[in-house]
Amino acid sequence: MNHQSKGNKYVCPNDRQLSLRAKLRTGWSAARSEPPLTPSERDAIAAVVKRAEKLEEVEAKRIGRLVARLEGMRRSAQGPAPRTCLLCGETARLLAPLRTCAICRNSACPKCVIDTPPHRSPLSREQYMCNLCAETREMWKKSGAWFFKSLPKYVLPERRTTGRYTDSELSRTLQDGGNSSNEGKTDSEPGSPLSIHAPTFSRQASSIERRSISSPHDTHYEWSETDILSHGFSGLSLHRTDSLNQRPLAGLKRTGSKGSAYSLRSIRKDMPKPNNQIERPPTIPDAGFGTLEIKLAYDNATSSLAVTVLRARGLIGMDMTGLSDPFCRLEVLPREGTYSNRLRTKTVHKTKNPEFNETVHFFGITESDLTVKSIEIVLFDDDKYGCDEMGSATVALRECAKSPAQLRLALSVSSGSEPTGPRILLALCYNTKKRALVVIVCRGAELPPRDSNGYSDPFVKLHLDPDPYHKKHKTSIKWRNLNPVWNEEFCFETRPTELSRQNLTLTVWDKDYGKPNDFLGSLILGATSKGRRLKHWMDCIKFPDHRHEQWHSLTDTQHL
Amino acid sequence: MAKTYDYLLKLLLIGDSGVGKTSILFRFSEDAFNISFISTIGIDFKIRTIDLDGKKVKLQIWDTAGQERFRTITTAYYRGSMGIMLVYDVTNEKSFENIKNWIRNIEENASADVEKMILGNKCDLDSKRQVSKERGEQLAIEYQIKFVETSAKDSLNVEYAFFTLARDIKAKMEKKQEASNPAPRSGAHQLRANEQQRKPTSWLSRCSLL
Repeated sequence: MNHQSKGNKYVCPNDRQLSLRAKLRTGWSAARSEPPLTPSERDAIAAVVKRAEKLEEVEAKRIGRLVARLEGMRRSAQGPAPRTCLLCGETARLLAPLRTCAICRNSACPKCVIDTPPHRSPLSREQYMCNLCAETREMWKKSGAWFFKSLPKYVLPERRTTGRYTDSELSRTLQDGGNSSNEGKTDSEPGSPLSIHAPTFSRQASSIERRSISSPHDTHYEWSETDILSHGFSGLSLHRTDSLNQRPLAGLKRTGSKGSAYSLRSIRKDMPKPNNQIERPPTIPDAGFGTLEIKLAYDNATSSLAVTVLRARGLIGMDMTGLSDPFCRLEVLPREGTYSNRLRTKTVHKTKNPEFNETVHFFGITESDLTVKSIEIVLFDDDKYGCDEMGSATVALRECAKSPAQLRLALSVSSGSEPTGPRILLALCYNTKKRALVVIVCRGAELPPRDSNGYSDPFVKLHLDPDPYHKKHKTSIKWRNLNPVWNEEFCFETRPTELSRQNLTLTVWDKDYGKPNDFLGSLILGATSKGRRLKHWMDCIKFPDHRHEQWHSLTDTQHL
Repeated sequence: MAKTYDYLLKLLLIGDSGVGKTSILFRFSEDAFNISFISTIGIDFKIRTIDLDGKKVKLQIWDTAGQERFRTITTAYYRGSMGIMLVYDVTNEKSFENIKNWIRNIEENASADVEKMILGNKCDLDSKRQVSKERGEQLAIEYQIKFVETSAKDSLNVEYAFFTLARDIKAKMEKKQEASNPAPRSGAHQLRANEQQRKPTSWLSRCSLL
């Protein structure tokens, strides 16, 4: 133990840090005084490392299975929509009210939530967690990501554990038309020559590079599952730039896959190529809400209908910047029984011209169904405060008899601009004399019944956020009424410049004695809201001293 | 499919050369003891799957060489470990003093929220004892780390030590997950907190007096 005298030769005596290192001989000062490893030692260490790598591989596969499972759940989730279950799309019923997930604040039916064990505070007697959040949490724990603060490297399983069919199987059935039977992974030619109108395929391959801290021996797993085919019209070059950081073909490496829950899902690849596309589908005049391009394919063997949502063009803008976060919800109509067969695509963020390129599959569609049923595609703007409809289109299923049936549909807002379901009529007016925002709560309609007599006793609470005066208001209670008329006026002192930073929050409650009030719905108006709510708010700022009256649908999530 | 497990925890054993790290691991993984001293070359690891509160927990325990010439290799494994066991020899004063250096080494190289534990090994050799149990406990209190005296030879507290460390890591994991709940934002968050509690349990519990 004479390292003290030996080490000091290399260490500045004033440098405490270094002298400490020298004592432990971890740093550079130690390295030179030691003999190098002998070949046998090196071999022994290499053997251990190899053994460890084998274990890492097993672990990577295990995490891959967890990831795939979660992804499958995400894909089959219906997505947040007002008054329906986040996961199964079930609508709220009296005996089975929707629960609010404590984490994502979305509502889900009792079948799709779990009770979280009451911890610490016995006051919060009920805490629900939707299956999606629970699964995410479980995955985070099981993969060790909780410790490393990011997902360790993983290898997705070959076969999807979630679906009845693997992607490649399905793509093969889709390509039955006799064209190229290329797998999405293996074809690397930039697309066969097509007619002038047909989209050219520019290929961008990518994979996710995992930062692996778990082991010092870093082997990058190439993740070829997430190959993305991005389509762009020749000349228009519409490349999507969303949260996924895309780079032109640069090996199979991509960095960064953070992002919201819904952007984490892998993107469907294996797009069937429209090689044998003969004629251009007839274009329908645009009704002002943009167009949507889809492709239908029916497979007799599996009695499944594959709907490929290719892209939408010229959608209406919903937020402040005039952009939208569109996603499609697809449903085969008419429904059979109460079972809802709704599927949704991923959300493409901040665009009016989204490229979805996603195929969804409806199973159990018989051939006779093809003649009578139709598919409804509704575009929604993804918003955590309730989704706004941006347009919808309906196609009869017999269209898929033409193969491959590529269609361009004009979107229309079918249900009119007035919202349905639980809603509230509000009048806003900025009074320049009073220097205050005057909110008139006019009336509510189709409020959900919460009392056993089939009625509710509704009242509205409202406040501005942030408000320096912390004013809170309440309307009177309208007893036994699902379509109450209040016509009550409230003032919030504020400046018009402040107004663009403030949000007006309304919550509707059912008054109960002897037990807590029931929540009926909520609404947030502000510059950060979207669609109709945004328009209403901006109108109010732009044209002061005018009364702006508008219906708004209520969301049943108690968001902030 | 192979026997699967719920969690994989990576543990690490560090301490001076000859304190008995390999013996402890040998006792835990194979339940055996070898009297002869074979110095570990660089690194090694052993696997054991344990059952912890109904969950299958696979422990991958890294055994490091105490010798200084392997220090560069062994420190590379600090960052990946979720729990570290610091081992000293109760019959060796120097190895006990070096624990402080090892802790400093952990602070420099390991992940910040790594779970630690001090083991005083060879507690069966009471006649040769140089470090009393109290001193070990004192040190553990100083650093707020759990401490236990073990004997790989007599199989004393070895199981307990690993189970305790694994349980501590698991508890930390649960706590972290709970803490990861999005904290309510400022402003109207109190409102929401109240609203949360007001949700009725079910229609049955409702009062019919309206």
